Amino acid sequence: MKFSLARGALALTALLTLASCGGGKATFPINVTVYGVSYDGLVLTTNGQDLAINHTGTGADPVTVDAVFPNQLEYGETYDVMPKPVVTPTTVTAADGTTSTVNVTTYKFPQHQTCQQSPNYPTNLPTYGTAGQLANIHVYYVCSINAYPLVAKVTGLRGTGLTLANGSGPAPVSVSPLLDTDNQPTGADITNLTLFSVTFNTTYGVTILSQPKDQTCTISGGDNGTGAGTMGLTAEAAGGVNNLVIACVNNPT
Amino acid sequence: MKSSILRAGVALACALGLAACGGGDGDLLLQGTIYQGVTKDGLILTNNGGDDLAVPAGATSFQFSRAISTDDEFNIEVKQYPSNVKSCTINNGKARANYYTIAQVTMSCEIKTHPFTIKIQGLTTSGLVVVNGTDRREVPANTATLEMSPVYEDGPYGVSILTQPTGQTCSVSNGSGTMGSTDTNNNNVVVTCA
Repeated sequence: MKFSLARGALALTALLTLASCGGGKATFPINVTVYGVSYDGLVLTTNGQDLAINHTGTGADPVTVDAVFPNQLEYGETYDVMPKPVVTPTTVTAADGTTSTVNVTTYKFPQHQTCQQSPNYPTNLPTYGTAGQLANIHVYYVCSINAYPLVAKVTGLRGTGLTLANGSGPAPVSVSPLLDTDNQPTGADITNLTLFSVTFNTTYGVTILSQPKDQTCTISGGDNGTGAGTMGLTAEAAGGVNNLVIACVNNPT
Repeated sequence: MKSSILRAGVALACALGLAACGGGDGDLLLQGTIYQGVTKDGLILTNNGGDDLAVPAGATSFQFSRAISTDDEFNIEVKQYPSNVKSCTINNGKARANYYTIAQVTMSCEIKTHPFTIKIQGLTTSGLVVVNGTDRREVPANTATLEMSPVYEDGPYGVSILTQPTGQTCSVSNGSGTMGSTDTNNNNVVVTCA
């Protein structure tokens, strides 16, 4: 009787001692830092958890957001932190009229932004791994504001030397006339000509930096009718500005 | 007598031979990477004050023609800037030569900018918005001169009217061109409102 009591007490002591050692379990919080957040809407996901990253501060000034996923990981659990994918079944109509359904995957990025794993040292660490590989789990993403193209049609161009500028930002674009098999200019329309890429919510103004030889070109389209405007919500929804026309006519001789 | 002439001749030949080699040349070719800013001819780099190397417009790398030896000290400096460059920064340009250090030199140049001022005539109402690409300016009534963001030397500009002022119509003359090399009178962009 006496012995069995002592044995029980010993077992209890041993158990308590082990527990106080922390022999229980180590857990790992999943820390996240996102640079360049200008708008709300980013959702990061891993291990069945979602973490919303919202913009703080005024206007659309880019900010750095630090956050931690709600649940911690146990030693040895794997993680893969990524913007939350959204799969949308979309009906596609082929040229022959038959329809089929394909899954289109988009990601819950901030509005008007795209995010990627940080490319810069020293934060260019993998966004996936196993808890316990490193002392801490820390994932870094960088977001940038989307840019959309200015797409133009050039009509009547026969001379060489046409260059177009968008203010003082990007390098000017030279446009050459289309040539026939004898290398003579045809004056045919040049369609779907991508001129410049414009960041969301900034302005653009396409101007003619130099006229083609013996011709004069004028620009129409854009918000103001003469090649200038703002890359706003409407243009974003349309995937860019598609109504710019550069019409060239021969100079009077 | 004859042999001493011969001896002197041999010595001379040896000296000339060595001199032609450039004396002490090694087998390491000093080189570097140019990140940005060399858009015009005129850049001249030197190593230890000599061995002039002209770097042409648009170059993304350079390599000195004279080979150097391991442990030679090198020091790359700019002897002459292209006319449109304000300054250049050279990283890892001074070190002792070895296979690693000769390939670690990087360089970027900063192009000069100039103030960009637009004349405005006859503007009596508010609402005018003028853009130079992404540079957007709301222009108050009765403005006579409009200061835009500075423009790179030799860089383009193109001014458009994004929004007309209330009750007036404005037009731009000489709205597009290339920034000159002086701070004043380098453009004559005029917005005329009526």
